[in-house]
Amino acid sequence: MTSLGQLDLDSETAFALLPELVMLAGVLAIIVIPNLGDAKFRLPLTRIRIPILVGGSRLESTNDPRLPNRIATLTFSVAFAASLLMIDSSSEEVGGLLRSDAFSRLFSAIFIGALLLVSAATTHRIPAKQNAAVPKEDDSESIASRKISVLMDNRRQVDFHILLIMVGLGMSLMAMSTNLFMLVVCIELASLSTYVLVAFHKEEEVGGEAGAKYFIVGSAASAVGIYGMSLLYLWSGDLALESLAIKWAEMQGIDPFAAFGIGLMMVAFGFKVSAAPFHLAAPDAYSGASSPISGLLATASKAMGFVALFRVLVMITAPDYGEEASWFLMLAIIAVITMTWGNLAALTSENPKRMLAYSSVAHAGYMLAAISVIGSGLAGEEGTRIILIAITFHLAVLVLFKLGAFLVLALLETDGRGHRMEDLHGLGRKEPLIAGSMFLFMLSLAGVPPLSGFLSKLLMVNGIVSSSADTGNSSAADVYSWMDTVDPVFWLAAAIVVNSALSLFYYLRLSLVMFFEEPEKSPRLKSASSLRMAIMACSILTVLCGIGPVSEWLVSLVSTSIDSLMG
Amino acid sequence: MMNDPLSVITLAPIAVGMALLILPKLTDSAEGLARASRAISMGVSLAMLAITTMVFLGEIGNIDWSDYGSGYSLTNDSFLLIPSIGVSWTVGIDALSFPMVWLTTLLIPISMLVEWDAKRGHLFHPLILIMEGALIGVFVSLDMFVFYVFWELTLVPMFFLIMVWGGEDRRYASLKFFIYTFTASVIMLIGILVMYLYTPDVASSGTITGHTFDLGVMVSSASGIPSEGLRHLVWIMLLIGFATKMPSVPVHTWLPDAHVQAPTAGSMLLAGVMLKMGAYGFLRIAVTALPESTIAFIPLLLFLGMVSLVYGAWVCMGQTNLKRMVAYSSVSHMGLIFLGIATMQPLGIAGALFMMFAHGIISPLLFAVAGAFKHHYHTLEIGSMRGIAHHSPWLAGHMMLGWMASLGLPLLAGFVAEVTILIAFWMTFGWLVLLPALTLIITAVYYLTSMQKTIFESDDPHHGILPESLHGEDPSDITWHENAGMLILGAFTVLFGILPFIFWDMMSDWSSGFMLEFLTQAMESEGVKP
Repeated sequence: MTSLGQLDLDSETAFALLPELVMLAGVLAIIVIPNLGDAKFRLPLTRIRIPILVGGSRLESTNDPRLPNRIATLTFSVAFAASLLMIDSSSEEVGGLLRSDAFSRLFSAIFIGALLLVSAATTHRIPAKQNAAVPKEDDSESIASRKISVLMDNRRQVDFHILLIMVGLGMSLMAMSTNLFMLVVCIELASLSTYVLVAFHKEEEVGGEAGAKYFIVGSAASAVGIYGMSLLYLWSGDLALESLAIKWAEMQGIDPFAAFGIGLMMVAFGFKVSAAPFHLAAPDAYSGASSPISGLLATASKAMGFVALFRVLVMITAPDYGEEASWFLMLAIIAVITMTWGNLAALTSENPKRMLAYSSVAHAGYMLAAISVIGSGLAGEEGTRIILIAITFHLAVLVLFKLGAFLVLALLETDGRGHRMEDLHGLGRKEPLIAGSMFLFMLSLAGVPPLSGFLSKLLMVNGIVSSSADTGNSSAADVYSWMDTVDPVFWLAAAIVVNSALSLFYYLRLSLVMFFEEPEKSPRLKSASSLRMAIMACSILTVLCGIGPVSEWLVSLVSTSIDSLMG
Repeated sequence: MMNDPLSVITLAPIAVGMALLILPKLTDSAEGLARASRAISMGVSLAMLAITTMVFLGEIGNIDWSDYGSGYSLTNDSFLLIPSIGVSWTVGIDALSFPMVWLTTLLIPISMLVEWDAKRGHLFHPLILIMEGALIGVFVSLDMFVFYVFWELTLVPMFFLIMVWGGEDRRYASLKFFIYTFTASVIMLIGILVMYLYTPDVASSGTITGHTFDLGVMVSSASGIPSEGLRHLVWIMLLIGFATKMPSVPVHTWLPDAHVQAPTAGSMLLAGVMLKMGAYGFLRIAVTALPESTIAFIPLLLFLGMVSLVYGAWVCMGQTNLKRMVAYSSVSHMGLIFLGIATMQPLGIAGALFMMFAHGIISPLLFAVAGAFKHHYHTLEIGSMRGIAHHSPWLAGHMMLGWMASLGLPLLAGFVAEVTILIAFWMTFGWLVLLPALTLIITAVYYLTSMQKTIFESDDPHHGILPESLHGEDPSDITWHENAGMLILGAFTVLFGILPFIFWDMMSDWSSGFMLEFLTQAMESEGVKP
């Protein structure tokens, strides 16, 4: 490797890495603060006792089991604000491996924003109780087990939130990586943490199974990807993205090392974005994990995969105008299979979490289709830019409505429900605001105007059509002969439209059971204030990001970041 | 944008309605607000009626309705909503939309009046207010995106009106209503998007897609869609969206269910204004943007219109449920609108426009009558109650006026529309006119027989035969507010029957301008004689 420079922590780099340093401080705080106690050190031979804080019995303020959650939420809020503010600042190289620019900062804002919502939801999903009682000898078995589970939830707080911040750290650094090796290491940091988070309720069978499945498939995919990376290294001798791109452009024909390397890396990234046929573990993982974590997998983790695809496919191997990339056809076919498979499977699932998991597979298909258009060589620079803006915008707003939908399920889960369609019955009458938000999320997922899901889908379809529709013979007499002449890329747009129409059925089905079906029994949902606030924030932003000044601000933010990616 | 009356009448009802729905929930001390919300809603809707009427009286002389190209009036500087995809807030009216806007503002206070004592009125009246804003938004917006948003927004209050205040089968009816119209409008959306993707490049205006949703641009550039086949496809997609709303056979089946289950005010608005959205959108978008396709598909329009007309009327004869019968008669009358458009005569199109307006006055009257009947006699079965004239002479009078107007009695509003459409039909299709003309006889048959069965025909000259659903109790007479609402509607039915030119002039000017601008040229190129 050529430029693995020193990482000098001067004030400039410190500022460039501000969100990451905040998260690092958050991790340290979560480890240290709950252990602070009233221990004192007596100076030998005197009576003076100096408080040393570490050890002894805990202080009143540090003994609160809710502390880790608060620290994590605070950490994510600060880091989120920092990333958002840094989008407009100039790009800054850090240590030759990282670059803080508008693109990476936008994505760290997306990742950390998602994590902020997850951490707010976890306050109620894995609740910590102050003054939890210890089971006594004469407690009946059920009471004792309930008390034990409360105690376990209290014990788990620290682990859970450290892992959550580690996910943020890995994802955020990953968006900044300018070196393939760094990129893969950061993905692994984030992935390994998510494997544990998925299996977090290991005493439950589904949780353990989901985590194990996700871990095994995920690590196999990573292994394949790393093998691919090693092939790329053999081919180029350098893993810096820029030199890889130059090497690729200079390459005569197709070097098998390079092609295999890229192809194998696609497997790893394909698993992250849950593209068919690597998506099979996703529905199990999503339905086994607690809902906020499933939402995290469906949004932030997916966005991470797409950043990797941007970096590798678009930045290294994008073809010149008029040429077709070697991966174009493969990716286009995978995209169509992914979206169709996702939607068909979602149509038949009876578990809302599985349904959302499959719908997220379908959404990955839409975005892959858009990426594959870049590979077709029809897009040109302007077309590429529009498509990248569309995908990035979609990933950003997906955090609002996809994660929002999972948060609604998380609210149901606080009562141990949310795994069956029946659990949603009657929600419209009991909780009109929550059901209304869920309805909005579903409509936005389906892409109904004026919600933000429509805007992003329209931008994608527009990108595809404007690259391809001109290829059709405009003087064709009837629609069949026109269809014959149009470039096959056009059919990707048609596939997205048809699939969106198909997806309406299950989104509407989920929405309508909330209003139409009578509930079997109707206990009121827990008050869960911060979770409700998170859901409300998501639903308001889902509308605002679709129409009006907020959406415009977001689009301009996204286009700045794409401009910085494309240089 | 706030000093422009059209934005006010669109947004104010929605804002006030939302506030009335939400505010009482948020604060505990706002019970007074909940109690007052009925009065506030009525006040706002009357203010909207006043504004629209003032606009009508103030601007009527200054507008050249026949100048189609710049015929939109009251447009202001547009306000960009989503610059990145070219969506802006642009509103305007012309002779196609103005009567509909006025009709909406007229029907909203009347439907509130008729259901003045609705259960859960603090929710009911604000919902109707939201409905008003959404309906007006459909008619005034000159941006396709905004148009579509309002189009879908009308579904929400109507859905809740049917589901919360509806009859026994309300779940089924509201679900069917929602699924039919929503699916159809998604198909329409695809058509709109195809048109959008072929608007000329306007990259200078700050869009990143290079296209715009501006109605005028979309309509004029629709001929740039490559290949006739694709244009026809777009036209068909638009037709599916609009015809389902109208509704035309074979996608009409949601309408009778929705009407029978909906509360009176819901039925009045559904029949009075919502059905007209279909015809309005068809003329505004499908016919205007793709005149060649329209002309190529005249046989289809003719077929749909004819089948709707005849089938609707035929089915009416077999109905025993009052509301269902009126619903099918709406299907039948909407068929006439298609026939009017299919004539491709200025007279026929003007007749279709007047039909939209006249049916918008008459059918709410019919549904108000049916609602009052249900309310006081607890049944909708025709024939279970005989001799209403003895018990509720006012109700009998309104019923008779409404039915007479609906079957097209001269000097009432429906006659003007029917006769102009038939004349235009004769001018274009010759003796084929006998088919729609004879169908009007069927209309007369079902109205007259049910009139005889309900209003008259009692064995006892002093008492009617009361339905079993009353369990032997005496029915109460209709309330003052029901009576007042029906009186106003009845008065307008007569007024527009005697003085149709209040709106007729602008409609006929508009249709001739419209023909000149779009259809004549297209007809020549398609080889059809104008």
